[in-house]
Amino acid sequence: MQGGDSPARAVDEEKPGTAGITIRAATPEHLIQLCVKAFTEHGVDEQQVEFVKVFFLMHQWFMTSEDLAQAFIDLYQGCDETVTCDKDSYWIVNFPVHFDMDGRLRSVVQNLGAVIQSEGNKQLRELVDLSTVPSYDWMRNMSVRNPASKHARKVSLVFNHLEPEELAAQLTYLEYKAFRRIHFVDFKNYALTASLKDQPKLERSIALFNGLSQWVQCMVLCKTTPQQRADVITKFINVAQHLRVLQNFNTLMAIVGGLSHSALARLSKTIACLPSESQKLLMEYTELLSSNNNFSNYRKVYHSCTGFKIPILGVHLKDIISLQTALPDKVEGGLLNFRKMAQLAIILRELTHLQGHESVPVEANMDLVNTLRLSLDLHYTEDEIYELSLAREPRGSLSSPTTPTKPVVFADWVAGVSPPDPNTINKHVHDMVEAVFKNYDHDKDGFISHGEFEAIAGNFPFIDSFCVLDADQDGMISKVEMKTYFIRANCHALRNSFKHAFHETTYFRPTFCIHCTGLLWGLIKQGWKCKDCGINAHKHCKDLVVMECRSKGSTKRNESLTNGVTVHEMTLSAKRKISQRQKRSSSSPSHMSEQSTQTDDVTRRATTLRDAQGHREVTVVDGEFYEEQSLLYERLLKAEEAREKLMEENCMLRSRLDTANEQIVTLKSHIGVIRQNTIAFILEQMDALHMQRDTEV
Amino acid sequence: MREYKVVVLGSGGVGKSALTVKFVSGTFMEKYDPTIEDFYRKEIEVDSAPSVLEILDTAGTEQFASMRDLYIKNGQGFVIVYSITSLQTFQDIKTMRDQIQRVKGSERIPMILVGNKADLEHQREVPITEGASLAQHWGCPYLETSAKSTQNVNELFIEIVREMNSAPVKEQKGCCSIL
Repeated sequence: MQGGDSPARAVDEEKPGTAGITIRAATPEHLIQLCVKAFTEHGVDEQQVEFVKVFFLMHQWFMTSEDLAQAFIDLYQGCDETVTCDKDSYWIVNFPVHFDMDGRLRSVVQNLGAVIQSEGNKQLRELVDLSTVPSYDWMRNMSVRNPASKHARKVSLVFNHLEPEELAAQLTYLEYKAFRRIHFVDFKNYALTASLKDQPKLERSIALFNGLSQWVQCMVLCKTTPQQRADVITKFINVAQHLRVLQNFNTLMAIVGGLSHSALARLSKTIACLPSESQKLLMEYTELLSSNNNFSNYRKVYHSCTGFKIPILGVHLKDIISLQTALPDKVEGGLLNFRKMAQLAIILRELTHLQGHESVPVEANMDLVNTLRLSLDLHYTEDEIYELSLAREPRGSLSSPTTPTKPVVFADWVAGVSPPDPNTINKHVHDMVEAVFKNYDHDKDGFISHGEFEAIAGNFPFIDSFCVLDADQDGMISKVEMKTYFIRANCHALRNSFKHAFHETTYFRPTFCIHCTGLLWGLIKQGWKCKDCGINAHKHCKDLVVMECRSKGSTKRNESLTNGVTVHEMTLSAKRKISQRQKRSSSSPSHMSEQSTQTDDVTRRATTLRDAQGHREVTVVDGEFYEEQSLLYERLLKAEEAREKLMEENCMLRSRLDTANEQIVTLKSHIGVIRQNTIAFILEQMDALHMQRDTEV
Repeated sequence: MREYKVVVLGSGGVGKSALTVKFVSGTFMEKYDPTIEDFYRKEIEVDSAPSVLEILDTAGTEQFASMRDLYIKNGQGFVIVYSITSLQTFQDIKTMRDQIQRVKGSERIPMILVGNKADLEHQREVPITEGASLAQHWGCPYLETSAKSTQNVNELFIEIVREMNSAPVKEQKGCCSIL
């Protein structure tokens, strides 16, 4: 088998495509033979060093590691034993990750070890020893439990107090963690399929990138005045500065991308408040990351950076795809295009090399990382953010009238990146809440007070008020309450936050439109009310409302919650709803009794309602006894519906009562008039009689 | 010589890279390095005027949402690509014009709609008429191309240059008020 040049191999002697590699194309079998030949008794043949490196790095592009190892073992039978083991040893030492990540490869090599051992060659056995292969657990698992942070140093988790430097460091930690998990095979699959399907590691990294950009936009847009918004932008520009120093280009790109996004770039009033220094820096970074001339600015700077650095993943993915598209896999009649492998190897070697960096220049603060990670998990659509931007600074008369005025719907391009599964969210929420309590629950009683909450709330652009989180209304937020809130928020409310469930409504009191603040005119069906959050608007205003929908615990929305929440937490959220309901119903007990005396029908229904409420309370009090959450929720849903119907009917009946009362008043006044008239008439008659009598007398 | 910045947009897997690569590198592809500065730069003659095109291929970065705005900001003309073999990719690009207009703050933007993979007629999911009517709605030219057979590849880039020539050089913000 170890013949000379085979005709099935094209060697490029004159001008090698890549330095150090003469082979242009060959069949995989010949590549393996070449590789075997490169190993001499004195190690790797110097002229073939480059080839061997590329071969081992890239073999997964065209064959599995298992097959390669098997091929080596096949050659081992009857040829120079030491050489085979040298190869395997070289492979193990230089690419340990292949061995740790590929179980089948391990078993093949272990078999080889067993064969050698049975032949009694101890020295050779040591060469293929796998026990020194370091563990790549962090790469295999999506989320690894982080070692408990040793330093008990307390930090502010509050965005407003957070130093840009600290923020940049923690973002870099998160970024690097996501980046280093991406495996060679992930890159390969992405290049071949151009899709993120079944590639959770790459997807997670991209989700982090997009989440960060959105967080930047939301943090800016949640501020109400231009000056406040400009301050947040300035802060993020400072963060960008530190990211540049850390040579974390990917996060830098995410931040700058967020800051220069159209939703922020159009805020002319805000931009006017930016210090010129910050404007200059932002310009500088936009220039650095610009796609002009094939990202030439970025590439130059990136290559001049040494040591720890995180590349803009997108740019390098683009290069890989470009190579993959442009160069054929097979050339010259079915030979494997090894030149392509050599060129891909240049990019992939760089990426895999950066993943193995030992000295990461940032120290993780797990509390902060957990808080950030959750902040970055929010999923808004581009649309929602743009609407918010329009609400903050509406298109003035000066701005271009040529921009489309109709509400624009944008394709969810990021659809390929799905939000993390409920378990991941639960874990993130758990970590974050623990972190918040560790740092903010000063008296360690397991509750967060009102004042402390206000500070934390700054990190979450659209968090609800204290009262909403404090489900049982005891003036304190417990861990469970906070977790429940965030899980709910993540599951549902935040995704649909801008969408209201409007329906036509008749109001019995003067009611004002939330959008134009004008009165809702008319006698009936004056306006539209949101079922979930209760805001009111004109028919023509309802589509323009930019206020988020802060669902007051609509049962429908909570259904999806059952996936991820434990029984205990469930009880709590149910309790919250009931406490809210009790509050509401306590405000109108008079109507209730009034109403019940009015009609038998209503009395009957009200009893049903009270029964339902009573039933609910019993179920909640005996939390352990209820059979299934879904059953409870169905009941809650029905009760809620019944209640809503009753409320509507109540309103109707009250209006009827009002009209009846009015009629009574009118009738009474009529009676008065008639009585007056009658009395006047009688008196007149009597007067007349008196007069007559007088005259008679 | 006038320089044109063209951005190639569309979902993953529609053949953006293939079109770009076919156009910039012709047939001989032995020496190929997508990381060099003027790799995506090509000179062509359009209506007897020599022009330089700098093409930005967005392949591989489709999922990076905030990079897209930066791309659009940088570009002057836009090639919007879908695959005639995938209805999904056609749906994906339908809102693209709105997004470009939003970023550019202008209504009149040079663009061209391209249905790629025309060689795979037997797998067609998007009829020619659908593409043509979207292009008509957008008021832009429409071509079906095949990177594989090089059908219409050069024509597509010539067409986008013509579009850019007929449009105002700078996007004008708020100067054409129709009030």
